[in-house]
Amino acid sequence: MDLTFSESELAFRDDLRAWFRAHAPAPEPQGDELAHFCWRRDYQRLLARDGWAAVHWPARYGGRGATLTESAIFFVELGRHGAPMMANVLGLLLAGPTIMSWGTDAQKERHLGPILTAEEIWCQGFSEPDAGSDLASLKTRARRERGHWVVTGQKVWTSGAQHSKWCMLLARTDPDAPRHKGLTYFLMDMEQDAVDVRPLRQITGSSEFNELFIDGAVISDEQVLGGVGNGWGVALTTLMNERAGLAFFLQVRLRQLLDRLLREAADRGLLADQAVAERLGELHVRAEVLRLTAYRGLTTVQKYGQPGPEGSLTKWMWSDANQRLTQLAADLLGPQALAAGGSWGYELLRARGNSIEGGTTEVLKNIVAERVLGLPKSR
Amino acid sequence: MDFDLTEEQREIKRVARELLAARSPLSRVREAAETGAYDQALWREIVGLGWGGIAVSQAWGGQGLGGIELVVVLEELGFACAAAPLLSTAAAAAAIDACGSDAQRERWLPGLVAGDLRAGVGPAALALDGHGADVAVVLDGEGAVLVAAPESEPLETIDPARRFAALARSSVAGGEPLGAGAADLIRMSIAAEVVGLCQRALEMTVAYVGERRQFGVPVGSFQAVAHRCAEMLLQTESARSAAYHAAWAAGAEPTRLGEASALAAAAAATAAREVPASAIQAHGGIGFTWEADVHWLYKRGEVDRALLGGAGAHHARLARAAAARLAGGSP
Ligand SMILES: Cc1cc2nc3c(=O)[nH]c(=O)nc-3n(C[C@H](O)[C@H](O)[C@H](O)COP(=O)(O)OP(=O)(O)OC[C@H]3O[C@@H](n4cnc5c(N)ncnc54)[C@H](O)[C@@H]3O)c2cc1C
Repeated sequence: MDLTFSESELAFRDDLRAWFRAHAPAPEPQGDELAHFCWRRDYQRLLARDGWAAVHWPARYGGRGATLTESAIFFVELGRHGAPMMANVLGLLLAGPTIMSWGTDAQKERHLGPILTAEEIWCQGFSEPDAGSDLASLKTRARRERGHWVVTGQKVWTSGAQHSKWCMLLARTDPDAPRHKGLTYFLMDMEQDAVDVRPLRQITGSSEFNELFIDGAVISDEQVLGGVGNGWGVALTTLMNERAGLAFFLQVRLRQLLDRLLREAADRGLLADQAVAERLGELHVRAEVLRLTAYRGLTTVQKYGQPGPEGSLTKWMWSDANQRLTQLAADLLGPQALAAGGSWGYELLRARGNSIEGGTTEVLKNIVAERVLGLPKSR
Repeated sequence: MDFDLTEEQREIKRVARELLAARSPLSRVREAAETGAYDQALWREIVGLGWGGIAVSQAWGGQGLGGIELVVVLEELGFACAAAPLLSTAAAAAAIDACGSDAQRERWLPGLVAGDLRAGVGPAALALDGHGADVAVVLDGEGAVLVAAPESEPLETIDPARRFAALARSSVAGGEPLGAGAADLIRMSIAAEVVGLCQRALEMTVAYVGERRQFGVPVGSFQAVAHRCAEMLLQTESARSAAYHAAWAAGAEPTRLGEASALAAAAAATAAREVPASAIQAHGGIGFTWEADVHWLYKRGEVDRALLGGAGAHHARLARAAAARLAGGSP
């Protein structure tokens, strides 16, 4: 056991820190969604220019072939320096690795470069009005017509679709096959009239996600990923990447928010109150245990090639902690934390999505019970 | 970055698991509880293996291994819920070795390691193995004091498989303060035991709910039961992450041990209550019987939680330390 970074990991971190110091992000734009997106896109371009946008990608695709620990260091430092998460996060963490695993040479050649530079933004078109947790029941239909695929259906909660050039689209190609077998994974060009993106207003008032109405969108055979009828397997690759990549960034953001609350509570003299100190300390323990468990998970994957129980637990731990933290802020700071347009109020509301996005907590518990503990399939 | 046991440490853990499974099944724990006496044959074997001195330098007769080996063995003690005075002996010896004076080491360590001397540990009001102890390491606020031959009254707790005592205030007042870190090592040791007993509670529960059928299906297929098990895993792994981290800090970064051990104590105090309580609930009526054995884990968990001083004090201490660090401007 060695919970310090090795010399090469420290050298990696020092390089990165020097880079972040030399490229301090512009102040975060408030209120304007498009301005906020551009801020994130421009920062990603800067990272990409200097080879930092996708450190976990192999060097031949523009990454640094970084180890898992180095990749974790990247996300920790990104968070610590107050830099924005890359605008093309779904492209970098989901689409890119899925294309590397399943794509043809031509697909890799075509798509990976523009993902890295944020020239082409990606979104994830999995969820539908009637297919959320039960994703395999999705109905969006792709039919063969005159040598290509024609897609009709509806997607929902599609984050970032308003900025996206491409969509990771999961659609049904064979309605007669068993439900997991009849699916195909497409790379769908969003720039066509048959794709209508309508923003959905979230409880925060802003619109990160959208509805997608797809009415006769055309997709060529070259844009099928991983073979017709193999969509479920390809989608699993995407979902696996979703859980691993973000953990460290989110954990750092949680820490920063907690530190902010600790500062504000200390400034008001609230830590003298034992009950308040205990509640803050309880969150400190959650944040630290999350960090430690994430590193344990990293070691497990690095040493044994597959995730241990830690991986399934950290997203659940994080969403729980973030929700409790923002609620504690409301309790301790009172009206100030609840003011319209204030950042604590935004965090409080945004946190409600944490236990839904990327798999609900209930579904994660099912996964832990069935796959980690080996309990009989739940009812 | 390598947050995992080494091959040698895994081997120590495996040997401890196997030996305790063979020599100390829960039926023996029940026997010890019912007769009110430790399993002496088991204790002699444990002494023979040198576990009491696993983290004590070889100069004093110990094995010269570190905090991680200590934690791993105590985790297995907790898993077995064994009725032997290992936690008190190993924790006291580790604390005296790390934080005592040479005179104290010389006086106590060889005897403790050889099983000739008996040690108590814990707060004065709840000293594990404190009655008739030759020496006690008493948790007192954030520090610890060493008390030779403390005056004591035996104390019966809800965990009859263990011996406790209330130490006389007067003899604690005459104790010699141990250097910083002694209390941290004691709490880290208790937290390690908690990880093991939670792991046992989880494994017993998963096995039971997979077998037990109601409404024509295993009860583990009911989501309320399955999710309870998932929560038990979360709590157990949280306590494990924190305990292993403290064990690492004890050897590699002693300046961080104070906070690491408070973290381990807080996570363990929470899990020690929740996980075994869930085990009883998931077993239904059987879980409430003397025969079913899950209650030994609950009892040990509740008393370990009290030995740790509960979770709240550690939470508050950690919050104040974090706030002080922020005010000092360091990251
Ligand atoms: C902020 C945000 C961003 C998102 N971004 C995207 C995106 O970019 N692309 C995309 O495809 N999707 C996205 N989603 C969708 C997200 O993946 C789904 O909302 C999620 O999988 C749940 O599906 P659902 O909304 O249909 O809820 P449902 O599946 O209908 O669930 C309703 C309730 O029932 C519970 N439930 C359902 N099934 C079970 C079960 N088997 N056991 C126990 N409880 C169960 C759920 O936990 C939940 O509490 C996003 C969601 C949010 C909140």
